[in-house]
Amino acid sequence: MKYLFLLMIPFYAVGQPNCNVYLYDKDTAQYNACKSVEKVYYYQYTRQYQEQFDRALEICPYFSYAYRAKSTAYLKSGDFLTWKYLIDKAVEYDTLSNIGYRGWCKYQFFRDYKGTISDIEYVEKRYKTIDVGYSAGGEYHLLVAKAICYSALNNKQKAIEILENLLANKNYDPGLFDYYQLGVTYFQIKDYENAQKCFDKQSAKYELAENKYYKAKIAKLNGDTLLFQREKNEAIRLYQDKKNMVDPYTEHFNKVYLTTIINE
Amino acid sequence: MKIGKYLCYLVWVLLLGSCQIEAQKSKYLRSVGDIAYDSTSDKKDFYLCNERNVKQYHNNHKGLEYKGEKIALIELFDKQFVPVPNSKDSGLIRIRFIVNCKGETDRFRVTAMDENYKEKEFDTKITQQLLLICKGLTDWIPKQYEDKALDYYQYLIFKIQNGKIIEIMP
Repeated sequence: MKYLFLLMIPFYAVGQPNCNVYLYDKDTAQYNACKSVEKVYYYQYTRQYQEQFDRALEICPYFSYAYRAKSTAYLKSGDFLTWKYLIDKAVEYDTLSNIGYRGWCKYQFFRDYKGTISDIEYVEKRYKTIDVGYSAGGEYHLLVAKAICYSALNNKQKAIEILENLLANKNYDPGLFDYYQLGVTYFQIKDYENAQKCFDKQSAKYELAENKYYKAKIAKLNGDTLLFQREKNEAIRLYQDKKNMVDPYTEHFNKVYLTTIINE
Repeated sequence: MKIGKYLCYLVWVLLLGSCQIEAQKSKYLRSVGDIAYDSTSDKKDFYLCNERNVKQYHNNHKGLEYKGEKIALIELFDKQFVPVPNSKDSGLIRIRFIVNCKGETDRFRVTAMDENYKEKEFDTKITQQLLLICKGLTDWIPKQYEDKALDYYQYLIFKIQNGKIIEIMP
């Protein structure tokens, strides 16, 4: 049933539109608008791309996908005013398909933590399951994004509670950075034992320079100089091998820079 | 021979004309966020390797590239920006500009919003300071494609709370 429902969502993830969904709903205006942009080969920043989606909106003014597609270049160029106007239109015409994505973008590009929490919680209330979606790049579950926002707002306990509940859910497959983010949150409240457990789990899943850096810090706090030096050197090596947290547009939460590791 | 030359010239003029008419008809720039030269604010001698093909900072998937990474920028703003006392200004300020193929910068443009994504004018003591510090940043790394240096658009967004910088993006 859950999967059938997902099939009904036309553009839950960014990609080629599935126009037949509109036919199924007997919405020929959206179907025609959708067909007009089914094959768009222009780069999203170009005038031609924007104009093609404008023509789709002339066919169907409530075609939310066009607003979302148009918004992307404004988001990536940091134009928060135009982006917000366009993405709000997408949310207005198809709330559930777009609000989680809007929430993620608010966090990723503008560090609007409260705005992100509010959008993700809207989806949560509607679905009442953990299936609220993922970040635009797929590396974070939106509940992890929500936890990150609580952590950024200095509500560490709430962040831990969200992450622990999600990771305890048997239907959830942990994301690439989940244990690291939880580990750092424990570290920040000085719960080094739980932090170490999370960093160990992160190492088993996907080792990162940042993760090794925090392991080095814990070793230092424990007075284990040898282990500290080993973990620190390993962190530097991983960083130089580009096994660190990289986001092509912005930065990961709790990213650690090379100089910070070296100066530890 | 001469007629051929004139014909070529005529075709070229017609093509150029049609491109310009198309551009005039459109409400869009060639590319979202393009910054055209403005003689009142921009340097006359700011050199671009390819004016018609200025890339975006994220096109090479490496994001912001500054010598010493973003932390070098953060430390610089920490040192140089003087928070405005008793300011109630909060929101985001974006400064967008071009880093040319030599790593030099110009064509700075400022946009700002309040905490509700509404356009806002910040105290000029804040925006002018940010602009001045941005213009003084000299360690941008020129982006390359197939060993060729490119010009690219970069932006910095400053999250301001009561006149203080609390975060810098991207």
